[in-house]
Amino acid sequence: MASIVVKGLTKAYGNFKALDDVSFEVEEGEIFSLLGPNGAGKTTTIKVLTTLTPPTGGEAYVAGFNVVRQPNKVRERISWVSAEVILDDDLTAMENLKIQASLQGLSDWKDRARALLDYFDLTNFTNQRVGKFSTGMRKKLEIAMALLNSPEVIFIDEPTIGLDVATRRMLWDLIRNVNKKYSVTVFLTTHYMEEADQLCHRIAIINRGKIVAVGTPAELKAKAGGTVVVFELSQGFDGENLKGVKGVLESQLKDGTLSVTLDDESHVVDLLRAIDLKKVKSVKILKPSLDTAFLKLTGSTIEEAEVDYRKFYAMIRRATR
Amino acid sequence: MIRELWALYEREVKKTYRNVAVVFIMVVQPIMWLVFFGNSLSGSPSSFLQGFFRTSNYVAFLLPGQLSTTMLFTGMFGSMSIIQDKRFGYMKRLLVTKAPREAIFLSKVLGSTTRGLIQAPIMIAVGLAFGVTIPFNPLGIFEWILGLMMLGIGISSLYSIITMKSADWQTPNVVANMVNLPLMFSSTSIFPSTLFPWWMKGLSEVNPLTYSSNIGRAVVLGSQFNPMNLVFLLVFCLVMLTGGFLACRKWLTAE
Repeated sequence: MASIVVKGLTKAYGNFKALDDVSFEVEEGEIFSLLGPNGAGKTTTIKVLTTLTPPTGGEAYVAGFNVVRQPNKVRERISWVSAEVILDDDLTAMENLKIQASLQGLSDWKDRARALLDYFDLTNFTNQRVGKFSTGMRKKLEIAMALLNSPEVIFIDEPTIGLDVATRRMLWDLIRNVNKKYSVTVFLTTHYMEEADQLCHRIAIINRGKIVAVGTPAELKAKAGGTVVVFELSQGFDGENLKGVKGVLESQLKDGTLSVTLDDESHVVDLLRAIDLKKVKSVKILKPSLDTAFLKLTGSTIEEAEVDYRKFYAMIRRATR
Repeated sequence: MIRELWALYEREVKKTYRNVAVVFIMVVQPIMWLVFFGNSLSGSPSSFLQGFFRTSNYVAFLLPGQLSTTMLFTGMFGSMSIIQDKRFGYMKRLLVTKAPREAIFLSKVLGSTTRGLIQAPIMIAVGLAFGVTIPFNPLGIFEWILGLMMLGIGISSLYSIITMKSADWQTPNVVANMVNLPLMFSSTSIFPSTLFPWWMKGLSEVNPLTYSSNIGRAVVLGSQFNPMNLVFLLVFCLVMLTGGFLACRKWLTAE
């Protein structure tokens, strides 16, 4: 069964469409990521799915309920972890959890709260004010708070933005484990290729408010066209040799460099056997990546696409006035 | 509703008393008023004070008015605290839960009303230190506090309504600066209305600060208690609360 169903979702700010006819489904128990540059519509999607803002068109169902018509049914079944850590710094970890429990109307939350603090190694800080926590600890506490109501779906907006490498890896493990241990569907947004690739079962690539492609990381990479092997040559080379080599999609000879595109990595050996390596100075194997996929699907790299986001926000500000 | 409201109200109160600087200023600020303003007329001839203020100690006249003014100024805190929660994203955290919006609104209103009321015993104690005598009248004091509470709820509801839809921190400040002083001076909180021009007298008649000051003065100066004062404040409080309930359903946004 699908945890999230989005059909033709549109969100317009004035004439500007932050989301333009967006459709996708997220299966139960998946880690699903919305991947795209800043300003692509990721946060807007989360805001609509968490009932914070109504869409201007289309429909969205979360945990089986319509986000516009049954917002409270949705709110009972979801949790949300923001990109910026949102906790009350004047209160202790337990007090933050207590407010969350009261707002979600949970009874018997205390044991679960203690178990969660224990699970996230925060037991020693139960009664300490959150203001003194490190960013990693704060993020952990936020996730603990999000799990308090045993949600069916947890929304995580840019989970590792601005975090150091070690904390980032820690959080990836944590999200993976939480997904398994608490069997919760995870919907996250990110603009880090590596994060989407390593963490997610399936990815939807979004750019300028439109979904460009949906699939597993492997499927998306395949769309970019397979592995590329680049040979630097010392002498003239006869391209004819490559005819009949297994898996070769295309080859290109340019300025003493031969680039051969293979449909799959497993054919690299076949290719190497077919080539007279005495004429080769060096070999480079480029694996397909989400970067190459993004480039192929949108026509620009994610960094190039990002440049637009200032303009985008300026536009939204004007539109909402 | 009650549970969510209590949790959020508890948060407001904890945030207040855990901030040492805030607590210190809350204690000192009313003392300043009574010390500097209350004593500004102490050299006046006793006959003038008796005739104009119906007491020879201006501090005794000022005390009930100053308590009303305190509710007015702390009422603004309700709106500032909404802005704060929006700016730090906390409002989003609240709004993605199924907690009723009325609970969020009420917690802010009650939080700032509490902040105001905490100053009441401090100011009364300072008044006593300046020679004000307060007749023993438990019912009167209860009505006094009740009146201040309704005034505080009304005022902070009003200010909260202003900030439901925006996260702009300048607007409530300028609105408060513009509105607070006329409200204070057009009431009888600082001077009696006997020497007001006719139009200011009219204003003071519809100014809730006048009514809460009247109740306090009836207690401190031992004059006749008029229940209409409480009725007026009750109406003011209920109208503002209703406005707030309607506004938060429609307009309360996350940012």
